[in-house]
Amino acid sequence: MKYLLIFFIIFYSFANASEIETRSISITKNLRCLVCEGQSVYESNSDFANDIKNFVKKEIKKNKTDKEIYQFLISKYGESILFNPPLSLKNIALWLGPILFFLMGAFIIFRRLNVTK
Amino acid sequence: MFLKKGFKIFSLFILFIFIFIIFYLALFQNQKDFEPRVMIGKKMPNLISQSLFDNSNKSLDQIFSNEILVVNIFASWCAPCKIEHPFLMKLKQNNIKIIGINYKDNSKNAKNFLEKYKNPYQEVLIDSKGELSINLGVFGVPETFVVDKNFKIIDKHIGPIDNKFVNKILKLK
Repeated sequence: MKYLLIFFIIFYSFANASEIETRSISITKNLRCLVCEGQSVYESNSDFANDIKNFVKKEIKKNKTDKEIYQFLISKYGESILFNPPLSLKNIALWLGPILFFLMGAFIIFRRLNVTK
Repeated sequence: MFLKKGFKIFSLFILFIFIFIIFYLALFQNQKDFEPRVMIGKKMPNLISQSLFDNSNKSLDQIFSNEILVVNIFASWCAPCKIEHPFLMKLKQNNIKIIGINYKDNSKNAKNFLEKYKNPYQEVLIDSKGELSINLGVFGVPETFVVDKNFKIIDKHIGPIDNKFVNKILKLK
């Protein structure tokens, strides 16, 4: 019984550590290393990236949600820390531009087809 | 027929303006990868950490006394910190209170650094893991924050400070 309990404690701590690691990787892959050239925090080994990696792990251990971690970092570094920033007035053209071009293209093709008929 | 041609020209014109705006915003707005001004206008986070001088826990609001405060991130291993050191001394000589945040440093080396170059700081808080720096939105060392009488961040300087920055702070006094 004693050995079974020890086994479960060890198993639980390994499973928990691996969950923290997985969540930390998924979050840091979506964070931009602001002092590197086009690297994510996950990919970089700069002081800045290492600080953020440690911070993210610590916050996960404190049971913070991904959203709370992202929001804290946005409040300190701005939205540019995210690789996938949310839709806002500043970037609306980039989000809607491709859809608009697609619709315009479809409209032109549709009209051309109608004219040739 | 005339209306159709007019509509085409008008559509092309709108398209051109749209593309022009996107390219203008992307290329000529001189935006950097990071937004150094995010923290400006926000309340200074109340940093709590161990003091380099007496090992006791200290908080920024304990040190703050309703006057202009300069918070400087430094490390003994950081070469640009040596360049900005005379300017920090100049601020001290003009009775500006400076708090140092010793970033990822060895305490002995930090003390030796302050002995060798003289100490411009009223207090130095130890940031051995870089956690205080994240709370301040710091990118690297050195970095300097100016806090006003209401404990609000009013300016931030990335890299070594210079005479221009010193004069700007002195004008705030």
